[in-house]
Amino acid sequence: MTTTAVETNPFREGLEQERMPEASCLIIFGASGDLTQRKLIPGLYSLAHDGLLPPGQTIVGISRPEQTDESFRASMREAVEKHARAQPVDDAVWDNFAKGLFYVQGEFTEPEAYLRLRKRLDEFDRTRGTGGRRIFYLAVPPQFFPVISKLLGAEGLVNDPEMDGPYTRVIIEKPFGHDLKSAVELNRVAVSTFRERQVFRIDHYLGKETVQNLLVLRFANGIFEPFWNRQYIDHVQLTVAESIGVEKRGAYFDSAGIARDILQNHMLQLVSLIAMEPPVAFEANAVRDEKVKVLRALREFPQTGLEQLAVRGQYADGSVLGEHAVAYRREEKVAPHSRTETYAALKVFIDNWRWADVPFYLRAGKRLPKRVTDISIHFRPAPYPLFNRPSSVRTHPNVLTIRIQPDEGISLKFDSKVPGPTVRTAPVTMEFRYATSFGAEPPEAYERLLLETMVGDATLFARRDEIETAWAWLDPLLQTWAGDGAAPEPYSAGTWGPPSADTLLERDGRKWRRP
Amino acid sequence: MTKEEEVKVDYSSIEKSLADLWRNEPREGEKPVTRAALWNVVAHTWEKEHHTLATETLGRASESVPQRSIIIHSSPDGEDDISSWISANCHLVRKEKQVCSEEIAIIASGERIHHVPPLVSALLIPDMPVAVWWLGDLPGEHGEYVQALLAPADRLIVDSSHFDHPSDLALVARIAEKTTTSPADLNWVRLEEWRAATASLFEPPRMRERMRAIRSLHISGPGGSFGKTAQRLLYAGWISAQLGHDVDLDGRIERGEIDFRLVSDEHAKSMQSVEIRFSDDSVATIHRDRERGVLITSVDGTHSTFECVTRVLSHGRGDLIVRQLKRPESDRVLLKTLPLAARLARRVA
Repeated sequence: MTTTAVETNPFREGLEQERMPEASCLIIFGASGDLTQRKLIPGLYSLAHDGLLPPGQTIVGISRPEQTDESFRASMREAVEKHARAQPVDDAVWDNFAKGLFYVQGEFTEPEAYLRLRKRLDEFDRTRGTGGRRIFYLAVPPQFFPVISKLLGAEGLVNDPEMDGPYTRVIIEKPFGHDLKSAVELNRVAVSTFRERQVFRIDHYLGKETVQNLLVLRFANGIFEPFWNRQYIDHVQLTVAESIGVEKRGAYFDSAGIARDILQNHMLQLVSLIAMEPPVAFEANAVRDEKVKVLRALREFPQTGLEQLAVRGQYADGSVLGEHAVAYRREEKVAPHSRTETYAALKVFIDNWRWADVPFYLRAGKRLPKRVTDISIHFRPAPYPLFNRPSSVRTHPNVLTIRIQPDEGISLKFDSKVPGPTVRTAPVTMEFRYATSFGAEPPEAYERLLLETMVGDATLFARRDEIETAWAWLDPLLQTWAGDGAAPEPYSAGTWGPPSADTLLERDGRKWRRP
Repeated sequence: MTKEEEVKVDYSSIEKSLADLWRNEPREGEKPVTRAALWNVVAHTWEKEHHTLATETLGRASESVPQRSIIIHSSPDGEDDISSWISANCHLVRKEKQVCSEEIAIIASGERIHHVPPLVSALLIPDMPVAVWWLGDLPGEHGEYVQALLAPADRLIVDSSHFDHPSDLALVARIAEKTTTSPADLNWVRLEEWRAATASLFEPPRMRERMRAIRSLHISGPGGSFGKTAQRLLYAGWISAQLGHDVDLDGRIERGEIDFRLVSDEHAKSMQSVEIRFSDDSVATIHRDRERGVLITSVDGTHSTFECVTRVLSHGRGDLIVRQLKRPESDRVLLKTLPLAARLARRVA
């Protein structure tokens, strides 16, 4: 990643925290919300614990409930005790961290709240050395983005990066729109106050170590890249499986569905990282330029015969991990006749020189047998079946599997001779597991992403054109599904999806890998 | 962490005995075993009591950095003998998988110690980096033996707190300069939080400007033997290295005008405080708050002041070794620091 923020401090050289951002004010809109308590403040505390936050770093929560700085700190301490990676909470680190934690009460639509916020930010610039550097984290539903952006601009809280002066950045969370039209509108609103390079769109998958390791695997090792193309790869499978149902997100999920919730963002991010060309530099725009080229090369869905390429399902009653699971339509805040898909499987092509005619099979679903995200690269078989004559030896194609979660790692399956006088082969795997080789749990994705925002490196964030290109590709499919009047195919909770998903691959003489 | 029972094996067939060890099926109720290694770690000692210490330390370290540990206790003066044992250090990962590292112990005495380096060479896992952890004082004799043992080493781990003479620091600096083995010093790892605290002190841009205005540095810590001074010398050498100062062979600073003073505190067990005085006579300090387990920095005479807290990390030997082995690359900052610290040491001597 590139260092963009500050002049080098020679005493940082060689330290774990070699890239230290300058102190800034991080303002969290939605400070009383779930994301703040589960991810943001625990993540920031863990960064402080590891010595990765600069002295004077200031965090300001803004939200509707009446609270004082003290009561906000107390509730955040509880959140840290429950959710921080670094446990137990270190009192000395917490005390110092809490000194930089403040609260401003206000409605997001109320201009006076922004006036109060501004006064406090000016005060922190004087007393805590934050120098006017501001990062606004919009941990709020997207309908608030326009009003917050507008009022931040109106109150003079946003500096134009074209002018000299301290930086202003804004972090926004998915969903980045509901379809292409709303995504374009959202981006238009964002850039009416902020310039594109000030906007950091979080897709937390990109903060995961294994996802970043995809780039290292491909571009730091000489052995893989020569085989990473249509000549050697038969097909690619991506699975994002969740064992849970919609939990308390029934209302949101029922209006979105799995394609919007997982496929449009996380899965397409993974596809672009697997399929992209080597970037000219490991730098934000160079990486994102290559990713967006992959999205532009995705083959459009046809007007007819869509069922040959796309399957949707919805979970019915079943059993997951030994527990009874109720049907989707009986989940809380879900419409009883809902036609929202909880499972989607797609056969996708990337029409470019490297990937022409190599199918990418993507599947994402809820209430599947277990929680797992992985990518498997299935190589073409050996060109000549040397070992199946005269005996009936069956050889297996090589498969490189990248496990994103849980138990992150990489494995390579290949055939080996079974010891004995006759030639028989059996598939064996070479495994690399993060936990086995590196011991410690990797940092939370949010920690990494928060730090990257402070440093000003947008490599791990989605750019406007990525979002819009992804929507432009997926929108026709969603519109067809919305307009065809058909219900998603049911599958029992605890299975790997509806039968049609298996047929999708069987038609091509292939089958889903069991993750 | 569990340690499998040590098995005495013929030293000429250690590798075969290890293979047999892994072929054994897990007993009923046992988790399946994964063998892992990122490093070959060779611990060497002349002292019997250090052998136990090395065994315990590397056993714990293998939980975080899986490794093949080869622990050698050599006694050049005893009867000619050599014997070896093997065992496995295992721990559970995510309560599911047993990850095990191999441990080989070799005890040699008399003339037989010269069989040890080729034996070690044969036992190293191919393509894995090799760290030699030298326990105790650096060797002044048995040069050929030591050289043979260090030949395959990518890294030499020492602990300068055990050094008894400035020439020991110079020897490590020479190894870095003349060989492909990069040195690592556990005493330098102990300094990491002091370096982090110093870096934090100079983090605000207005403090960055004052780096060139440092006029004196008083570093307080335990007095007594040279080993107890070594950490403060490394700190002073580091400051000089990072500010681009030259230190001549007699320990005088050729560019820059920092007055280094090592202040001895008889009651201290480790470095206690650093006082940095600037040309305008203002002072910045870093001191250890033992109760809170942190280092605290503060600055006088700046526009806005706030405490900066740096967590003191564990100084257990196992943790220091782990932090060292988790760094795949050689420590370029230590490489710059060592020669300067060695020269400053002459002034102290």
